[in-house]
Amino acid sequence: MSATDDDTLPGIPNVGKADLDAMVENERPDPREELADVEADTDLGIAMAEDAQRVARGEITGDEYWEKYDEAAAEEFGEAYLETPNPAVDAGDQTVSTDTAESLSCSVGSMDAVATESAQVDGEEADGGIGAGDEKWGMVIDLQKCVGCDSCTVACKSENRTPPGVSYNVVMEEEHGEFPNVTRTNVPRPCMQCDNPPCVQVCPVSATYKMDDGVVNIDYDRCIGCRYCNIACPYGARYFDFGENYDDEVDEAGELTSPEYGVDRGPREEGKSPIGNIRKCSFCTHRLERGEEPACVETCVGDARNMGDLENPDSDVAQMADSSRAFQLKEDEGTDPNVYYLK
Amino acid sequence: MSTQSSRFEFDPGFEDDRLRVAWYAVVGVLVTVGAYATYFRLTEGMASTNLTSIVPWGAWVAFYIYFVGLSAGAFLVSTMANVFEVEGMHRIDRDALFAAIISMAVALLFVWIDLGRMDRMYFPFIWRQLTSALSWEVHAYVAYIGILVTELYFSMRIDLARVAERTSGLKERFYAALALGRLETSEESQSFDQRWLKRAGIVGIPLAIFMVHGGTGVLFAVSKARPYWNSGLFPVIFVISALLSGTALVMMIYVLRTRLFDGESVDPDLLDRLAQLVIGFIVVDAALTAIETFIAIASVHPHEIETWQVIMYGPMSWSFWWFMIGFSWVFPMVLLSKRSWRRTPSVMVLAGLSVVVGIVAVRFNIVVPAQVMPVMEGLPHGMYFPTLVEWGTSVGMIGVGLLLYTIGAETLPLTPLTGGEHE
Repeated sequence: MSATDDDTLPGIPNVGKADLDAMVENERPDPREELADVEADTDLGIAMAEDAQRVARGEITGDEYWEKYDEAAAEEFGEAYLETPNPAVDAGDQTVSTDTAESLSCSVGSMDAVATESAQVDGEEADGGIGAGDEKWGMVIDLQKCVGCDSCTVACKSENRTPPGVSYNVVMEEEHGEFPNVTRTNVPRPCMQCDNPPCVQVCPVSATYKMDDGVVNIDYDRCIGCRYCNIACPYGARYFDFGENYDDEVDEAGELTSPEYGVDRGPREEGKSPIGNIRKCSFCTHRLERGEEPACVETCVGDARNMGDLENPDSDVAQMADSSRAFQLKEDEGTDPNVYYLK
Repeated sequence: MSTQSSRFEFDPGFEDDRLRVAWYAVVGVLVTVGAYATYFRLTEGMASTNLTSIVPWGAWVAFYIYFVGLSAGAFLVSTMANVFEVEGMHRIDRDALFAAIISMAVALLFVWIDLGRMDRMYFPFIWRQLTSALSWEVHAYVAYIGILVTELYFSMRIDLARVAERTSGLKERFYAALALGRLETSEESQSFDQRWLKRAGIVGIPLAIFMVHGGTGVLFAVSKARPYWNSGLFPVIFVISALLSGTALVMMIYVLRTRLFDGESVDPDLLDRLAQLVIGFIVVDAALTAIETFIAIASVHPHEIETWQVIMYGPMSWSFWWFMIGFSWVFPMVLLSKRSWRRTPSVMVLAGLSVVVGIVAVRFNIVVPAQVMPVMEGLPHGMYFPTLVEWGTSVGMIGVGLLLYTIGAETLPLTPLTGGEHE
């Protein structure tokens, strides 16, 4: 191996830094051409873009930049500009000082704050808030892709902050056959969010019920903890919260809880729900409402888990659930789960 | 009637004062143990139990269905006197009704302590679910207790009035209040009472059979996820074993209270009649259980087979062979087999006690084994034996029942003042 260039790594073409920069520059679209397709003023766009690069290089400050363009932007973009949250204004690492931000004509406030507000407004409009969406949530788990790593179980525990003894998702690992003809299947088991849920049928106080989006909800403020649903679930998907904690393992383990079913209950405290209630997987409803996938789906290393709208025939999950490989657990129970598996 | 002269003699309670002290001491110990255990239950929550999410129902649920059964059984025995007017049964009418009320109260205590959120015990009366057997049951229990109290009132009212008439001051007001102020002792008022007693009994019979105890069986039988419970015969066996335990209880109470409280001799004919009822119920209970077992095993459903293997050969199989088969069927059957034994009060107390204890194992063997088998292959097996807190609270709640019963037996005219027969 010849060592003509110290920076060269074996197997990597010897390309100088200047060459790379040239390649990037070559690929970069011409700003004028790009902006010509947009209704907005091309000159203004180019000027803003160039100055934005200066901000990035530290030649001018974010404050100077926004003071310079505030008026022009307001004129050019009108309403859209005035009502848009300023992405630069965010707690912590903001690039615009609060003083300057407040003097600008666009509605200041962090993206987060505005997102929360609009979510609340949406919820009211949809009449019913959480779970009232148009989608019918379904999950498809491809068993050929599942490697049995249990990261879904871990991601679920960390997302939903479930206490010891409560695990919304488990992976049932089964070995079949005798050596040398042995096969192993890993079957992840979240709540099936059945269309005919036996748990809902037996609850004496209607504390558990189907939401419009197909998810089976548990109202922790109503559940009396009789555990009848626990008995009735054919999938063993329900867990009773005995009030145990990870205090020995983690300091202040109960300080943070997950806003399950869209309700923030604050720190975990003795005698306070969900302690003494039944708990289960909610398809991470609180994440779905934010437009995010459930934690298990997002984390799956083999991309075995899929989430989507079963009623939208174009969705991936609807197509997969319709394939000849698809099946549900305990189909003869008549529960009609919204979790499908691919053989 | 020869008893006419002693007709208004009313001296309930223990004949022997030393026995009274000893008995209250025993009950006191039970209640104290229970209070101590309940303290742990309340401060540590459900973590003080050996229950898990795999075996979510345990000793408390088993005792709950046990006492519901005891109550329903005792009540149905009472209807033999006040609805079907079986000769000679009137004597035990109030005993049976009062035992049924106390059993039901104890049953509800067990339901209560079993709730994860005991503070929400009234929620089922605010929110309901038409498809939930438990939702229906809670209402049936309340209606049933109402019927029991109504019946006991109409059965006992005339004697309460007589006692009120004979006493004065606070006592008079106490008994007059229990009689709800209806203090006439005329024939007319008595036949009015008996008419309404019968009516309440007629409403109570289907309520007790189909709703209260049959319904409690349904509560389990609807669980399709648990094939061991999921059978049509299951609620029927529930009712039969309730009749068995209830009749045995009444038989035991009849002897003990007549001997220890009234200081009278036991009517051998009545005792024999109760004993024969117990025989009948043992036969039907054993036969239906055998049919149920046969159907389960013949189905070759792995879940059913394995559950029965757990019952018959598992670590808790002693409770099946010794208590369920031994104490609730075989041993009492032996004691009941001879006519002379059936007319011997001490032997019949032993037989009654044997059944009453044995049926506890029947209830445990209903509740626990169905949860040992995982609902799906790949999920863990269940394991359960009650903790000291669970045993302690159970002992305490039974103690509360015994205490309430004893106080009642010491104050109320549970033995008809006029002897036993309708006048």
